[in-house]
Amino acid sequence: MKKTETRKKKHTSRREFLESTGAVLVAATAVPAIQAQTSETQGSPAPAAPRTAIRLHVNGSNQRIEVEDRWTLAELLRDHLKLTGTKIGCDRGECGACTVLVDGKPAYSCSQLAVWMDGRSVETVESLAQGGKLHPLQKSFMEHDAPQCGFCTSGQLMSARALLARNPHPTAQEVQAALTGNLCRCSNYNRYVAATVAAGAGNEGRSLQSVSRSAALGASLPTLKTVGQPTTRIDARERVSGKATYSGDVQLPGMLYARVLRSPHPHARIRKIDASQALAMPGVKAIVSHENCKFVWGAGGVAGGVQYNDQIKKITKQRRYAFNNPVRFAGDPVAAVAAVDRHTAEEALRRIEVDYEVLPFVLDPEEAMKPGAVQIWPEGNVSLDNQNEAKPMTQQRGKVEDGFRTADHVFEDRYTTAFVHNAQMEPRTCVAMWEGDKLTMYTPTGGIANCQNDIARDLEIPTDKVRVICQYMGGNFGNKNQNQDSDLIAATLAKQAGAPVKLEFSRKEDFIGMHGRWPTIQYYKVGVNRDGTLQSIQLRGYSGMGPYRKNSGRMGGIEIYQCPNIESVIYPVYTNKTVSGNFRGPEFPQGFFGIQSMMDDVAYKMNMDPVDFVLKNMTRKANDQVDYTNYSLDECIRRGVEAFDWKTRWRPKPGSDPGPIKRGAGMSFMAFRSGVGRSNAIIQLDGNGQYWVRVGVTDVGAGAKTTMGLIAAEALDVPLSQINVVWGDTDRCPYSVGESGSRTTIMTGTAVIEAARDLKRQIAAKGMPKGSDVLTASANPNPTVEGGKVRATYGAHFVDVEVDTETGRVRVLKYLAVHDCGRIMNPLSATGQIKGGATMGIGMALHEELLYDPRSGQALTPGYYGHRVLTHRDAPEIEVIFLESDDGYGAFGSKSMGESSKVPAVAAVGNAIFNAIGRRMKDLPITRSRIIVALSGERA
Amino acid sequence: MKTFASVNARDAKHAVTLSQQARRDGKVAAFNGGGSDLLGLVKERTLSPDVLVNLRTIKGLDEVSSSRGMVNVGGLITLDALGRNQQIRRDYAVLAEAAETVATPQIRNFGTLAGNVCQRPWCWYFRNGFPCYKAGGNQCFSVTGENQFHAIFGGGPSFIVHPSDTAPALVALEANFRIVGPSGERMIPAADFFVLPQRTPARENILADDEMLAGVQLPAPRPGTRGTYHKVLDREAWTHAVVSAAIVLEIEKDVCRSARIVLGGVAPIPWRVPAAERLLIGQRVTPELAAQVAETALAGANPLRNNGYKVPLTKTIVRRTVLELANRTA
Ligand SMILES: Cc1cc2nc3c(=O)[nH]c(=O)nc-3n(C[C@H](O)[C@H](O)[C@H](O)COP(=O)(O)OP(=O)(O)OC[C@H]3O[C@@H](n4cnc5c(N)ncnc54)[C@H](O)[C@@H]3O)c2cc1C
Ligand code: SF4
Ligand code: FES
Ligand code: FES
Repeated sequence: MKKTETRKKKHTSRREFLESTGAVLVAATAVPAIQAQTSETQGSPAPAAPRTAIRLHVNGSNQRIEVEDRWTLAELLRDHLKLTGTKIGCDRGECGACTVLVDGKPAYSCSQLAVWMDGRSVETVESLAQGGKLHPLQKSFMEHDAPQCGFCTSGQLMSARALLARNPHPTAQEVQAALTGNLCRCSNYNRYVAATVAAGAGNEGRSLQSVSRSAALGASLPTLKTVGQPTTRIDARERVSGKATYSGDVQLPGMLYARVLRSPHPHARIRKIDASQALAMPGVKAIVSHENCKFVWGAGGVAGGVQYNDQIKKITKQRRYAFNNPVRFAGDPVAAVAAVDRHTAEEALRRIEVDYEVLPFVLDPEEAMKPGAVQIWPEGNVSLDNQNEAKPMTQQRGKVEDGFRTADHVFEDRYTTAFVHNAQMEPRTCVAMWEGDKLTMYTPTGGIANCQNDIARDLEIPTDKVRVICQYMGGNFGNKNQNQDSDLIAATLAKQAGAPVKLEFSRKEDFIGMHGRWPTIQYYKVGVNRDGTLQSIQLRGYSGMGPYRKNSGRMGGIEIYQCPNIESVIYPVYTNKTVSGNFRGPEFPQGFFGIQSMMDDVAYKMNMDPVDFVLKNMTRKANDQVDYTNYSLDECIRRGVEAFDWKTRWRPKPGSDPGPIKRGAGMSFMAFRSGVGRSNAIIQLDGNGQYWVRVGVTDVGAGAKTTMGLIAAEALDVPLSQINVVWGDTDRCPYSVGESGSRTTIMTGTAVIEAARDLKRQIAAKGMPKGSDVLTASANPNPTVEGGKVRATYGAHFVDVEVDTETGRVRVLKYLAVHDCGRIMNPLSATGQIKGGATMGIGMALHEELLYDPRSGQALTPGYYGHRVLTHRDAPEIEVIFLESDDGYGAFGSKSMGESSKVPAVAAVGNAIFNAIGRRMKDLPITRSRIIVALSGERA
Repeated sequence: MKTFASVNARDAKHAVTLSQQARRDGKVAAFNGGGSDLLGLVKERTLSPDVLVNLRTIKGLDEVSSSRGMVNVGGLITLDALGRNQQIRRDYAVLAEAAETVATPQIRNFGTLAGNVCQRPWCWYFRNGFPCYKAGGNQCFSVTGENQFHAIFGGGPSFIVHPSDTAPALVALEANFRIVGPSGERMIPAADFFVLPQRTPARENILADDEMLAGVQLPAPRPGTRGTYHKVLDREAWTHAVVSAAIVLEIEKDVCRSARIVLGGVAPIPWRVPAAERLLIGQRVTPELAAQVAETALAGANPLRNNGYKVPLTKTIVRRTVLELANRTA
C-alpha cells in the first residue's frame, strides 16, 4: 500500500460503517476500540495543529521556540532540542524516566505541555555536568553502580538533585520519599538511595564501603589482580550524563515515525481492511498490514518453544506472522503506518477501517483444555512441540503411585501464578534504514547476532545484508532476546516509504503487544514418610502460552528434590491472552513458587523446621541423578541460617504472634543452570598499546561490557585503562550468544580469555606492534563439561516479614540472599544483580499482575500504575552474601547470576507470610485483598 | 496526540469566557491545572478537547489567605504547596496529610487542588478506553467484570470510587467550594459538590459546562479539633487509595464534642457516615466505642463480587484511626 495516489473517498460515518458490518457493531458495544473512535475527522486531512511561540530557559540558555500546542515537554526536549538524556518510559506519569526540573522542581516532562513552559526554566540531565566536570551526584551514582540499564537514571538524578538543593544531607528515608516518583525496573533502588545519601553527605569520591560480604569456599580460588575488584563500569559516565544512546535516541535525516494499529478483539478474523482514508492523509507515507506484509516472525512463536532455527522454520505448522489473520489476542498487530511525525501516524491509524468477524475466545488455560473449548489453532489448544506433536512436557522417574502407596502421608494442593510482565523500562523502539539492499536496524536486543540472523531469515535476505546496532538498552529481563515483530514492521515500512523509519511502542503496547511470564496452574501431590523423607512427587501443570508458543512453558522446581518417584506432566496451553515468553529465569520463579510453597507446607505438616526438611530432601545431584561439577547449596543454606539468625526469626508455630501485626520468616533455595558453550571474541592490539576487545554483547544492564574489559585486562595482564571494548554492532563485533540465559560472562568471557592467550603468544613471537600495525587474535571456543556433569549456580534466600492481618499489608523487614555464583567478576555490579532479582521477586509475590477483563479479553492493567511495579518506598534493603566456589569451569571460575536471584525470591516471601499468619497463600500475587479474605472469611 | 489549542487564562472570569467562546464555536473545551490527569485521558483519546483553557497562567489563585476566621485556599495551589503550608498543617492537618499522600513529588509539584478534586475516575475500564457511562456510553463494565477496586456504597449505574485524596478531607472539614461560571460566582458546601452516578452517570460533580472550581473555603478551626487522613495503598506509593478515611474530631477534656468521618475509595463520592459520627458525640473514645463506630460506618455496605475485602479493611481503618486520633495528646 505504498502511497501512489490520493483518492477522495465518500465520507462514511462511523454509524453507517458499523451498520454495514453487523459483527463490528456487536463488538463495538462489548469492547472498546483500542484506537478510540470518533467520526469527526474521517476522510478529511488532519486539521493543522495550532502552534505557539514560547520563550523558555533550557539548561541555562534562553530559547524562543515555536511549538505545537500538543507537544509535551519531553517531545520538545528530545525531538526538537535533541536533549535525549531525558527518557520516555510510559508517557503517562507512571514511571519517572522523563523527570526534569521545571523552575527547580521535579516534573514529569511527558505530562507537561511544552506550551505551558512559556517563561519557565527547564533543567535536564545534560545540565548537571559543568565544563566537563561531573556533578557530585553523577560521580556518586557512578561509584555506587546505581545505573544498571541506565534508562531510569536521568530521572533519578534530577529528583535527587532537587532534593539536595532543599536538603543537603538527607537520610535514606528522605531520599526514598523524594525519589518515590522514579521507578527502576532493574530494581537497583538500594544503590540509588545509597548514592544520593553519600553525595549529600559530601562523600563523593568515597568508594562503596561494603558491596557484599564475600566468603571464599575453601582456598580454591586464588585472588586475581583486576577481576574480582569492585570496578566502576567503563561506560558509567555515559549512563549518568544522558549521553548513552538508546535506540529511541537515534534520529536520522528524513526519518519517518511509525505506529501500530492493534486488534481490540482477543480473537477475530479480519474480513477487510480499508486504509484508503489513512493513505489519503497528507504526511502519510506507507501503510502495511497482513495484506501486503506477509513475513513470518519466526522467533515470535515457534513449535516447542525452543530457539528458532532454520530447521524449525521449515517444519512448524503454526506460524506467527508480523501481521496475523485471524488475530488471536487483543493487541495482535493489524496494520502499521509510517508518517512524517508521530501524531500524523497516530491520527492515520484511526482512519483505518477494519471489518472484524469477532470469534469466541478463551483466556484461562484450564478452560482451554476442556472439551468443546474454543479452538485457537486447528490442531487444538495444546501447543505443538518441535516435532509438531501436541503433547505435554513430561518427566518421569520411578513410579509415583508406588511411592504414594508406601508413603506415610500424602498431601495435595493447587498453586497458581499470575501473568506478569517484564516491564523493562525502555519500551520497544527501533529505527530501520535501508541503503540499497542493506538494512541497518537500531533496535534494543539482548543478542545482536541472534537478532541479525532472525531478521535476515524472516525477511529472506542474506545475513550480511542486515546490520544490527544496539549500543545501550533499557533493560531486557528476557523480553528483548532474538528479533521482534517491530523490527520486521519497521523494515517493511522503511522499504516501502523509501526513508528511515522509527517505530515506537507505547507503554501499553509494550505490555500487551510483547510478552510476559506465562501464568501457571500447578497441582501437586507429595508422598512423605514419617521421618520426613520424600517418597513421591507428582505435578500436573498448565501454562498459559497466549496464542503462540514463544517459549517453553515449563515449570522448574521439582528436580531440586531428592525423591525416588517423580512425575511431571505440563501442558503448554494456547489462550487468547497476550503471548507468554521468557522473563528472568523463564520457568523458575513461578515453578519454584509452587513447589517451594508446597514443600514448605509439607514440612510444617510433618512438624519439621522447613530448613531441616530442605536439608534432608534437597537433591545433591542434577535431576537427582547426574553429578554437579561442584555443590555448595548446603553451604549457602548453612551460612544463610547463621547470618539471618533463622532460629530467632522463624516462628515454630506459624501465626502465633499476639496482636494483629505478626512477623514470620521464610526461606527458599535454588540451583540454576550455568552451562558453558560456544562463543567468540576478537582482541586487537594497535601501535599505541591500546587493546580492542570486540565482543557481540549488548549489555542489557548487567554490566557485560565492563566484565569483558575486566576479563581481558586480567588475561592480558594490563590495566583496564588500556582496554577498549567494542560492542553492540554486528558490523564491528563477532558472533556472541546473546545475553539471554545469564551466560555472557561464562561463554563470551571464555572466548575473551582464549583470544587474549593467543594475542600474548603473538606478542611474544612478533613483539609489540608499531605505528599502524595491528595484531589480531580471535577465539571461538566451545568448551564442554567433563563426564556429562552439570554446572549450576546455587542460592538461598531468607525473608523476615511483618503482616498486618487486619489490613493485609506486608512489609519486608529483612532480606538476605546467599549466592554461590563462582567467582564474582565485579562485586559492585554483581551485588546489584542479586538485589534487583530479589526485589523483582518481592513485587511478583505481592503485587504484580497483568489482569484481564473476562468479558472483553482486554488487559486492564497494562502499565506501571496498574501492574504495581515496586517503588522506592516498597524496596527493602537486600543483603547479599557471595560464596565463591571453584568448579574449574567458566571464565576465571564464573557462573551465571542475573536470573538466578529472582528464582527463590517469590517462594521465600510466600513462605515468610505463611510463617507470620499461619495461612497458606496459594495464588499470586499475594495482595492485601487476598490476605484479608483468607483471614476474615469475607467473600472476595 | 489529538490536535488542540492551548489558551491562557488571565483570571477565573476570563477562563470561563474562553471556555464559553470555544463551545460557542462548536468546540470541546477543558480546563487544565497541572494536567497530570487530563493529558493521560487526552492521549488515550478518552477525552478529545479542541481547546485547553490553561489555568496555570492565572495569578493569585494559588494562595492561602484568611478572612474573618475563614481560610481561603486557591484552587490552583499545588498539592506540594498545600502539604507544606504551615497554617494548613496546623489547623487542617487532615487536608495537608491527604495532599501529601497523592501520587509522587513530580505530580504534587504541579498537580493542583482543583485538578485533584475534579480528576476523572481511575476505574480501569474507563482508563483503558471502554465506552462506559463515564465515557458517555450506556453501560458499566465493572459491575459484571473486574471490580476489586470499585464501590461498596452508592454504586449504580457506575461503580467508580471517587479517586481524589483531598476530596474526603475537604468534606470532613465542611469546606465550601467557590465555583466561578458564566453567571458569576457561587459557594456550595463540599458535600453537595460531589454527585452520585444515579444523578449524572457521566459526571462526578455538579460543575456545569464552563464552570470552574476556583477555590475552597475552610471554616475557622474550633479549639480541640484534630484531624488525620489515613490512606491504604496497594503498593507503598503512587496509587490511588484502595480505601481511606478522613477523620476530624473535636475533643474537649477527653470527650468527643463533634466528629466527621468521611471515607474514600468506597463510593463514587466521598462517603460521609453520620450514624457512625453520632455515636461519638459526648463520649470518651474507648476501643469498644471505636469498634462500634467502625461497624456502624460500614453498615449497609453492598460489595460486588471482588471487593468484599473492603468492608473489614475499612472497618479496621476507621476503628484504628478514630482511636489513635482521640488518644493523641493535643
Ligand atoms: C500515576 C498517577 C497516580 C496518581 N495517583 C493519585 C493519588 O494517589 N491520589 C490522587 O488523588 N490523585 C492521583 N492521581 C491523579 C491526579 O493526577 C492528581 O490527583 C492531580 O492532583 C490532578 O491535578 P492536576 O492539576 O494535574 O489536574 P488536571 O489534569 O489539570 O485536571 C484534572 C481534571 O480536572 C479538570 N480541572 C482542572 N482544574 C479545574 C478547575 N479549576 N475547575 C474545574 N475543573 C478543573 C480538568 O479538566 C480535568 O478533567 C494520579 C495520577 C497519575 C497519573
Ligand atoms: S465503574 Fe464507572 S467508570 Fe468503571 S466501567 Fe463502570 S461506568 Fe465505567
Ligand atoms: S515517561 Fe513520564 S513518567 Fe514515565
Ligand atoms: S537502571 Fe533503573 S530501570 Fe534499569
